[in-house]
Amino acid sequence: MIVGSQKSIDELWEMTKDFKKVLVFGCNTCVAICHAGGEKEAETIATLLRMRAAQEGKAMEVDFTSVMRHCEPEYFEPVLEDLKKYDLILSTACGVGVNFLSDRTGNIPVYPGINTSFYGAVEAPGVFVELCAGCGNCILHLTGGICPIARCSKTLMNGPCGGTNKGKCEISKDVDCAWYLIVERMKKLGTLEKLAEVQPPRNWSTSRDGGPRRVSLEHIRAFEEQEAGKSDPAGGKK
Amino acid sequence: MSGASTIEKKGSHRERAAALKETRPYSPCRAACPVNTDVQAYVGFIAQGRYNEAFEVIHSVNPIASVCSMICHHPCERACRRCGVDEPLAVRPLKRFALEQSTEYRRNKRHLIEKTKGKSVAVIGSGPSGLTSANDLADLGYQVTIYERHPVLGGMLAAAIPPYRLPREALKEDIDDVVSKGIEVRTGVEIGKDISLDEITSKHDAVLIAIGLSLSRSLNIPGVEGPGVLLAIPFLEDVAFDRKPDLGKKVLVIGGGNVAMDVARSARRLGVKEVEMVCLEGADEMPAWKWEVEEAVEEGITISHRWGPKAVRREDGRVKGLEVVKVLSVFDAERRFSPTFDNANTKLIEADTIIITIGQMSNISFLKDSKVKVDERGRVQWDPKTQMSSAPGVFVSGEVVTGPGSAIAAAASGHRSAMAIHLYLQGEQIEGSLPTYEKEKIADMPATVAEKIAREPRMKILHLEPEKRCNTFEAFEYGYDEEAALKEAGRCRGCGGGAVVDKNKCMACLTCQRICPYGAPVVTAWSEIRPEYCQACGLCAPECPGGAISMVSYDVREFRETLPAIVGSVDPNRKEPVIVAFLCTHHLGTAGFNLPDHVRKVPVHCTSRIDTNDLLKAFECGADGVAVVRCPGSSCKYKGIENRVAARVGQAKKLIGMLGMEAGRIELLTTDAESGSPYTAVCAGFADRIKQLGLRSK
Repeated sequence: MIVGSQKSIDELWEMTKDFKKVLVFGCNTCVAICHAGGEKEAETIATLLRMRAAQEGKAMEVDFTSVMRHCEPEYFEPVLEDLKKYDLILSTACGVGVNFLSDRTGNIPVYPGINTSFYGAVEAPGVFVELCAGCGNCILHLTGGICPIARCSKTLMNGPCGGTNKGKCEISKDVDCAWYLIVERMKKLGTLEKLAEVQPPRNWSTSRDGGPRRVSLEHIRAFEEQEAGKSDPAGGKK
Repeated sequence: MSGASTIEKKGSHRERAAALKETRPYSPCRAACPVNTDVQAYVGFIAQGRYNEAFEVIHSVNPIASVCSMICHHPCERACRRCGVDEPLAVRPLKRFALEQSTEYRRNKRHLIEKTKGKSVAVIGSGPSGLTSANDLADLGYQVTIYERHPVLGGMLAAAIPPYRLPREALKEDIDDVVSKGIEVRTGVEIGKDISLDEITSKHDAVLIAIGLSLSRSLNIPGVEGPGVLLAIPFLEDVAFDRKPDLGKKVLVIGGGNVAMDVARSARRLGVKEVEMVCLEGADEMPAWKWEVEEAVEEGITISHRWGPKAVRREDGRVKGLEVVKVLSVFDAERRFSPTFDNANTKLIEADTIIITIGQMSNISFLKDSKVKVDERGRVQWDPKTQMSSAPGVFVSGEVVTGPGSAIAAAASGHRSAMAIHLYLQGEQIEGSLPTYEKEKIADMPATVAEKIAREPRMKILHLEPEKRCNTFEAFEYGYDEEAALKEAGRCRGCGGGAVVDKNKCMACLTCQRICPYGAPVVTAWSEIRPEYCQACGLCAPECPGGAISMVSYDVREFRETLPAIVGSVDPNRKEPVIVAFLCTHHLGTAGFNLPDHVRKVPVHCTSRIDTNDLLKAFECGADGVAVVRCPGSSCKYKGIENRVAARVGQAKKLIGMLGMEAGRIELLTTDAESGSPYTAVCAGFADRIKQLGLRSK
């Protein structure tokens, strides 16, 4: 899931202070699970903004609501007209949601209510860890299921480097060395000898280097386009 | 748009929660009540000191609430899921407490109801069933006339149930409610004697026969005719209307039911020292309620079990005693009443007066030659699906058709008949449209949950000592005082008032499943909170990141809606700090809240329900300080809440810090459990500390 984290109220206030009517719009999936931007957090932010406005002597109306996801139109379309009654939508979705919504609210700005941090897992209640970098070319089968792209500070494909120290990374004693973990894991799996094979330089064009990425599924699009054609007056019956 | 958000305002949270509750299985107490009184809801209000609201819950379904608060056989208590832990909640005494506390409120509410329907209904009989129907029909805007053969309203409640059990002041409160709606009352009018059924039918658009069972059955045994042998109902009527019959030195009561208990215990109160009961049944077979039997025995009444009446023996015409024969068995293999006797084993029980209390029947002689058909066994023919007799427009309700039962069951029948009459007069279909009270209920408490619940003994109901109560018809039961009532209300586990998940908001994040101390949530595609496990502690709802969890009763979000009104306007020139105090009501003492006005009280079922957002909201409303006052951890009725609440308070401190406010403006405090006023000192100390921090300007 996508993990987010809260922004300070000072930062949110700077963003919102010139608007009269603000909606804090929660997203009830990934960022709710990590307690950053679900309905509960949206309510907290709305309350804090109202209190801050009162402190600053500014008249500002701040409401909150939420939908399940900001990244699929079916979820927010039913409330789109309600959203347009506000001067500003402060979306507490991840950056995906903010972008996606922003393209669809006409002249109403959509601002980010949280920081989008990473793709992660719930290690323990309240602890979220980054485990994937979304590089677009998964090699976890080669590394014992532990990702060196996301978890090695240097993104090394042939580690560890000289900075490994008793299982920790040189950047911090609190950060595990991913390559130490890979070695230990592969020992356990009995596949350590695979590491003797040197990995060639990676093709980064599947990652950010290739510009914004897009996945389009032919089998689904073919059907959807056919359906769209049906509703076209020139395309036959509706 | 999500239900709790600030941009959708469809009714109060309370209204939404009430609607939600109707879609859920009922608490067993509520399901067991013949009119489905929402016990959990009103006990919850009592626990919060909200007695008028408790009254509203009770009275909304039960117009004979005060009567029931004294005499109800309380099937709710037998159904109570606390039975699986220790003892059931004392529901009836709590009802009595709520009604006693809300008397003034109730009286002030009485008012005439406009007769908008332009049609009139005659109600014959004013017992529980007739009163309930009259009440409902008046509410619906019909002109109602009650015909009652006794000089007062109430039917058997007024004319037979002895006042030591049902004080007439309690009955009067219920009757005054109904009559105040603008009902015409014709007492002392006996149908068939003073006025014919035909005449009534011609005067009204519909008629309800709710005459109950006013005739006592007698025995067909030798010697039964003559002085010294009385029937139960005429005897109880004499008692009720203060006509003291001469009973001699010893009274023998034939019968083992509840009316027999009333008769025996009344005879005792008329000064008869020796009262004996004789019944066919063994001690564990008697139809009388166990507590009635125990109380009768305390009063010195003796019971001879498993003897059947054979003949009344007389000397010079006066009763000498009852010859009885030994009972071999009372029921047959199919549990049908079919007594067998050992005719060789007989004895004489001496007595001056014998009172026969073996059952009742209806006096339906006035139906002779009417359109209301009576079957070959002398019962009024009726259709339970429409509550109508064979005569169009003539309806029936209560024991005249259902047979003997409880007052509250008769009231349920009265509700159905009132609705049937309404539908009939509006030309609508009756069948399928009448209220039903058979509801799905929450399953028994799983053992894994029961073992986590602290044992708390039921608060004792005190009675006047047996030797004193035998000299008076005054009520013998003391009601709870406030301390006892609040403690008892705190024992309720809140079944049916617990957590419910809105599937449109739940993203199956597992938070609730991780938090619940009782293992109630099971998360698959979404969280399902199993009501039989849920203890309504409320720990999960404030933690739900999607705001998907509501508490059916006194929800967390209800606080936030009501906080602005609770805090009210804040005087900029105030001398004392405005404190919002969230108070756990579980260990409320006799002094109640006993807090000064500047401390705004928010009673909560448990501090586990308080959300960080509630604490922020209190400041937004203008509080200078916010106190969360919980009971000592050792006495908390729930498991594992302390650290969660502390964490929420910690989070709120951090959040107000972001606005430049001191962390000390929020504190988690513990009641002074030893003190008679458990909140006073802790709140005063907190207010002093807030004063040191200073009053907020904004």
